[in-house]
Amino acid sequence: MANYNIDAKKNMTYDAIVIGSGISGGWAAKELCEGGLKTLVLERGRIVEHVVDYPTMNKDPWDLELRGALGPEDLKKHAIGARAGFVGANNEHFYANDEENPYTEVKPFLWVRGHQMGGRSLLWGKQCYRWSDLDFEANAKDGHGVDWPLRYKDVESWYTYVEKFAGISGQALGLPQLPDSHFLPPMELNCVEKDIKSRIEKEFPGRVMTIGRAAHLTEPLNGRGQCQFRNRCDRGCPYGAYFSSNAVTLPAANVTGNLTIRPYSIVNSIIYDDKKGKATGVRIIDAETNEYIEFYAKIIFCNASSLSTTQILLNSTSDRFENGLGNDSGELGHNLMDHTYRVGAMGRVEGYEDKYYKGRRPNGIYIPRYVNIDEETKTDKFVRGFGYQGGGGRGNWSAGANQEQFGADFKDSLMKPGPWEFFITGFAECLPYHENKVMLDKENVDKWGQPTLAIDCEFKENEKAINRQIKSDAVEMLEKAGVKDIVGFDNEHEPGYGIHEMGTARMGRDPRTSILNGTNQIHAAKNVFVTDGACMTSSSCVNPSLTYMALTARAANHAISELKKKNL
Amino acid sequence: MDRRAALKKTAMAAGSAALVPSLFSLLQSCQKKPRLSWEPIFLTVNQAELISTLVDTVLPKTETPGALDMKVDLFIDVVFAKLFNKTAQQTMIAQMEQFNTTCEEKFGSIFSELSVQDREEFLKEEESASGKYNGKVWGTAVGEQKPVGFYRTIKSLALWGYFSSEEIGKNVLNYDPIPGEYLGCIPLSDVGKTCSL
Repeated sequence: MANYNIDAKKNMTYDAIVIGSGISGGWAAKELCEGGLKTLVLERGRIVEHVVDYPTMNKDPWDLELRGALGPEDLKKHAIGARAGFVGANNEHFYANDEENPYTEVKPFLWVRGHQMGGRSLLWGKQCYRWSDLDFEANAKDGHGVDWPLRYKDVESWYTYVEKFAGISGQALGLPQLPDSHFLPPMELNCVEKDIKSRIEKEFPGRVMTIGRAAHLTEPLNGRGQCQFRNRCDRGCPYGAYFSSNAVTLPAANVTGNLTIRPYSIVNSIIYDDKKGKATGVRIIDAETNEYIEFYAKIIFCNASSLSTTQILLNSTSDRFENGLGNDSGELGHNLMDHTYRVGAMGRVEGYEDKYYKGRRPNGIYIPRYVNIDEETKTDKFVRGFGYQGGGGRGNWSAGANQEQFGADFKDSLMKPGPWEFFITGFAECLPYHENKVMLDKENVDKWGQPTLAIDCEFKENEKAINRQIKSDAVEMLEKAGVKDIVGFDNEHEPGYGIHEMGTARMGRDPRTSILNGTNQIHAAKNVFVTDGACMTSSSCVNPSLTYMALTARAANHAISELKKKNL
Repeated sequence: MDRRAALKKTAMAAGSAALVPSLFSLLQSCQKKPRLSWEPIFLTVNQAELISTLVDTVLPKTETPGALDMKVDLFIDVVFAKLFNKTAQQTMIAQMEQFNTTCEEKFGSIFSELSVQDREEFLKEEESASGKYNGKVWGTAVGEQKPVGFYRTIKSLALWGYFSSEEIGKNVLNYDPIPGEYLGCIPLSDVGKTCSL
């Protein structure tokens, strides 16, 4: 593994600057470097080199202090990460320090961040689904939000392009609402999942259940190893089996010799030259020395993550852009979306007591959207739709806490796998509401003196109506599938729990109502590209990361071609 | 801040709150029982004896090691000291006292001094009185989790301490750190035990 060039001091001027090194930033860096551009990646956190910087990747529970649990001090440091439910001693080093990075919740909003090279690509759920024209046409058809300036045909070849390099495993189904990816072999369903799949598909024509489509290699690819089914992904994968910037895109960018990555570089603002009518560079604060430094480039890619990108744009003011770079429309910061989460049903499955499985599969099942996909499936209760993720497995000893038993027989019984359990949880599309927004909070500055964000966002009636159906359909499907002791649930989480923040610098056809054009360029500053979640015009109900990858690769190649034509 | 010092401070503050009610029974128990073979960092000796007897009753030694063999009582003492915040520590101490008070009212002495039969009798009652944990999806409880009773908390901690120990994880359960493949449907008899990881 080659070391990274982190010495940006040698050179203050580059062809391209990429802000952020997560899923979309990694792709931007790879494409721009491979396109021959000298590229500087600015990362606000530390360097995390693949494998070398994965300290817990091989640790068993007894190897970790306090068996992997976090004490009150660590929990204070990770108050937001802990609220999300995923942070522990095994992965806390990949979660941002929430005490040092405050934000204001005007209404409750969970903002989970990963401040290191690779960002949240080290922590993500890895579910990868193509969007379809059902998604890209949704705003135009029902009038919520503005129209996407592109359609599936514009992104299709870019989906294929990124999938071939990232490696997506899954099962082709030929569904129009969920186009198939270029797939590696699918992971296997277990016996209970197969049983429930056949029952649901028989009882509910039009509904299908499939193995999750996920950025896990099921066969080796480009020198990366295949998944070993340890399910320790969020510690960093020693085999490089799941897609992360650290394992996949940044090493590819690095071998070109065109990459410089500068750690501890908090972007303060993008420098805009009123006379030239374009951005000329980026102003950073060194997180360790508090020194302000400027770097210059012909093009700038914003990939800091949805809300951080918008925070930077809002803070990038000039005579031309008093309210933030590219904010002629007044839409910068607005139309924030996420997916609803933790609403569904769970229960116990009988009949496979003598069956088990080998391996810990880092993937579950998926039930694609089946409502509002055509005239026949149209509902008058809400617009848009939802899909389910979930899975089946056998409980372990932890189920013993609730069992009304103790003593010798009880202890021995816990050595065997517990009952089979199965759950599904829905992800609902959320509409882009102008009033769901982020604002720069100049009263509250962080330890580097930078204005923080105030987030004012809530789910509204359409999302709640979808959630009601998610829960009742989930219970009904599990009942018909013969699941026992069914519990329907809706945790009524605030937005942010899905960790799918989207919008706040949306793409659109009209500069009067959007920030970005159809190739992710700021309408009024065409050498600035935004290709992370901030660019999203609607939210679909499927996971967004694959679309960020495709849009980024597409925009980066457009940028290279425009540079060659001297249009930027 | 010095983490160790801070923890010590909270542990001491929490300990002093419980000093008065526990002192008497502590002195009493000293007279007729052998002292603990280990020195708690958070619990009083009397409280530690309660925890030791409890985890021994829940997970006794059989052909496989028991909770005491795996030092689950020491583990729980560390959990109280290092994972519980001050409020949770105080609640836990109050609940421990209440547990023993109830025990005394019903059976005439504190839990650690009951006969094995009486301990089991008392725990049967606690099993139905101590509340339940909600189901979890991806690490988060579904629905609103009502507080569970002292016994349920200790039982849950005991299971965690026991089954996450190296001996049980590596030598008793099915230890497979690098499965290498996923097979969705195999006979349970192929592996027999549950997976430890």
